Amino acid sequence: MFSNTREGLALALPAAIFALLLFILPVGILLSEAFQSDAGWTLSGYTDFFSKPLNQTVFLRTLKLGVLVAGTAAVIGYAAAFSISNLSPVARGRVFGLVILPLMISPVARTYAWIVILGRTGIVNDALVGLGLAETPIRLLFTETAVFLGLLQLFMPLMIISLLSAMENIPRDVIPAARVLGANWFQVFFRVILPLTKEGLVVGGTLVFTGALTAYITPAILGGSKVLMLETLLYQQVNVSNDFVSASVIAMILIIMSFTANLLLKRIATARK
Amino acid sequence: MKNLTSWAIIGLTLTFLIGPFIIIIFAGASAGESLAFPPDGLSLRWYLKVFTIESFRQSFVLSMGLAIFGTLAALLLGIPAAYALNRYELPGAETIRTVVASPIIVPGIIVGLALLRYMVIPLDVTVTVALFMAHTALVLPYAVRVVSSSLNNLRSDMEEAAVLLGCTRLQAFTKVVLPNIRGGVLAAFILGFVTSFNQVPVSLFLSGPGVRTLPIDMLAYMEITYDPSVAALSALLAFMSLAIVFIAERLLGFSRYV
Amino acid sequence: MSEKYVSLRNLTLSYGKTVAVPNLNLDVVEGELIALLGPSGCGKTTTMRAIAGLLTPTSGTIAIDGRDVTRVAANKRGIGLVFQSYALFPHLSAFENVAFGLRLQKMPETEIRQRTEAGIATVGLAGFEKRKPAEMSGGQQQRLALARSLVMEPKVLLLDEPLSNLDARLRLEMRTELQRVQKKTGVTMVFVTHDQSEALALADRIVLMKDGKIEQLGTPHQLYAEPATAFAAEFMGFENIFRVQGENLVSDFGQLPLGFKATSPMLAWRPSGVQVGQGPLNGRVSASSFAGGHREYVIDTALGQIKADAPIETLEVPLGENIAFDLPKSNARQLSE
Repeated sequence: MFSNTREGLALALPAAIFALLLFILPVGILLSEAFQSDAGWTLSGYTDFFSKPLNQTVFLRTLKLGVLVAGTAAVIGYAAAFSISNLSPVARGRVFGLVILPLMISPVARTYAWIVILGRTGIVNDALVGLGLAETPIRLLFTETAVFLGLLQLFMPLMIISLLSAMENIPRDVIPAARVLGANWFQVFFRVILPLTKEGLVVGGTLVFTGALTAYITPAILGGSKVLMLETLLYQQVNVSNDFVSASVIAMILIIMSFTANLLLKRIATARK
Repeated sequence: MKNLTSWAIIGLTLTFLIGPFIIIIFAGASAGESLAFPPDGLSLRWYLKVFTIESFRQSFVLSMGLAIFGTLAALLLGIPAAYALNRYELPGAETIRTVVASPIIVPGIIVGLALLRYMVIPLDVTVTVALFMAHTALVLPYAVRVVSSSLNNLRSDMEEAAVLLGCTRLQAFTKVVLPNIRGGVLAAFILGFVTSFNQVPVSLFLSGPGVRTLPIDMLAYMEITYDPSVAALSALLAFMSLAIVFIAERLLGFSRYV
Repeated sequence: MSEKYVSLRNLTLSYGKTVAVPNLNLDVVEGELIALLGPSGCGKTTTMRAIAGLLTPTSGTIAIDGRDVTRVAANKRGIGLVFQSYALFPHLSAFENVAFGLRLQKMPETEIRQRTEAGIATVGLAGFEKRKPAEMSGGQQQRLALARSLVMEPKVLLLDEPLSNLDARLRLEMRTELQRVQKKTGVTMVFVTHDQSEALALADRIVLMKDGKIEQLGTPHQLYAEPATAFAAEFMGFENIFRVQGENLVSDFGQLPLGFKATSPMLAWRPSGVQVGQGPLNGRVSASSFAGGHREYVIDTALGQIKADAPIETLEVPLGENIAFDLPKSNARQLSE
């Protein structure tokens, strides 16, 4: 609207320069570190990193948990979002409030609850022993399952929100129309609901996937050093082994993964316009 | 029947999402010495004990300060940027947008590490300043995004009308634009505050003697003991966040900005 | 009274590399109500924004009341603009919306109050001072926007599609209102519209624009009765426009003999100017509908479709039947290309 370029730049540049100097520059230097050696440019940081079995395991586990959490969140999210979208407007508003409420609560608090649930004297173990299903408490904490549950609980609201807003855009009566035309619920889902909410699924999926990828608290509390993920591995490499090259490699992997996911999100979200 | 299925699904989902939070409240209210649910009798002793732990008090003040001033700084940078990106034809607008949004894409732990290595150590910046910068950068994308979306809803011909009635560009902004995006700015502040206050990964490496954000301090405390005080503190913090969000929702329908 | 109260000289307006208005010359007489009429993209809104100062010309000058304002900022020009969307300030009451500009001039409070109340009364909104714009109807918002501009006593009042957001009944009401206010205040008004009936009913003079150029300028009567070009004729409701070749009318489809000798390259007839029921020409009725005082026929001919309005007394010709008609010389409008 305004054509005064200099004025516009004067308003926009402080924020951009701040982000550039305090963000992109330091992160850029950090990332470049893995490519440098005394002899010049090198890829040995990366080859060394991936030659260690532990690192391979952690990398694959992070990827696996990210996909699993996003996938599970999508399945539960669809059921929940569809149920919520069928409520009356008032009830829908209330339930929506309850869904986003956990997002406002500290992740430390939300993760800490799982210790109470899954710990040696937690609810689950009490129940198992009490019912005679186990003789002694079994180890539930510091397992992949614990991390999975923690991440799922942490990020599922993002999936439900994304799917709900996508479902708002489904025209009224197309689902009854499909039913009248003879589609069963299975067909209604795959031929009507899924294509119409594809964007929401991609947005939600990306948010959950990158969230799980870059979460630190959940794997730290519920996985510990037994179930390392890339973020906790990075912390360990720096704080325990002072290995900054590995830290730089992990940083690069995390950025590439979340950047790719974000790019994908943008591409698909704008494709239909 | 269909309705019943719907409510069953919603009920189960909400139990999974909110149940742990309820458990935390009760676990913190235990009369016993160790973390358990159901608690060994009810008492408020752990809730009260939280206030007597000196390191929690210190880190609470730090986190509060970071969340308030970091968010204010982010708004100070973010509102003009959002306005410029929305109302001016800028060369490289897409680049500026990407740069300003970049803190959301880069995992926090990397930012913390990068600032530690290339700012705190070589430039001899204090950890507190680095934390402030990091939290400002972290909140910046939210500030720009939320303010942008309320600017989008404000037709630009209103500013033109103000100019034709005699306003300078700046007056048009303060007298017409700002009063009409107040809700968005307040929403951005709350979102930024909550994000900053609950932030862990960025602050992980940015801690020093006596300088620790509250969530980091809680993590450290948990490594020493599993007594119910962390549960009590978690519950208290959650109540604080909820109270803020609840008031905001009542005042301006906060959830439409999230 | 100045004949050149607003004077646009060699005005060129562009958005980036696209030239919207090349080399426009126009004079607005003091106190007149002039309409910039044309289809979207004809440059009428661009011209209006340039007069307001919201768009800087690439070249040329704009003078108001003898003073060159080409480089004067929009907030210093003393021009009012009623936006199509009204652009009322939603956070302010009706009173404060109208007082907005006066307050900026640091006027004493009593004078602000007096002038604001008078302005609100002028547009018939007395009693609505405390309402917010959102609590007012479309017509009331329109009046409020008008009052907000008028209290500033602008040299020129610009109106962007002033009636387009109103329903049919309010449109009529607002039309009279605008004329009344203009009589009362004597302010020079320039309004932009794409609706020829609006321009015809409201304006003292009409500037018909096409592709950033003035196609024709004249009184409503001149434009209605004597459009000069095919474009003007089409805009003024001549639906049957054909080229002349020798003694024939021609179109892309074919030709029909013309009963007289034409001196212009094109001829046009309104539907009401086509004689139906008798005449030397023949066609087939492809559509026919009752329209109150007359019957509207669409006739398939060698030239393509011809639209004709027949008086209701003439015998109705059924669909698909042949119908005789004439394109009489007396009703033909001669057009340049």
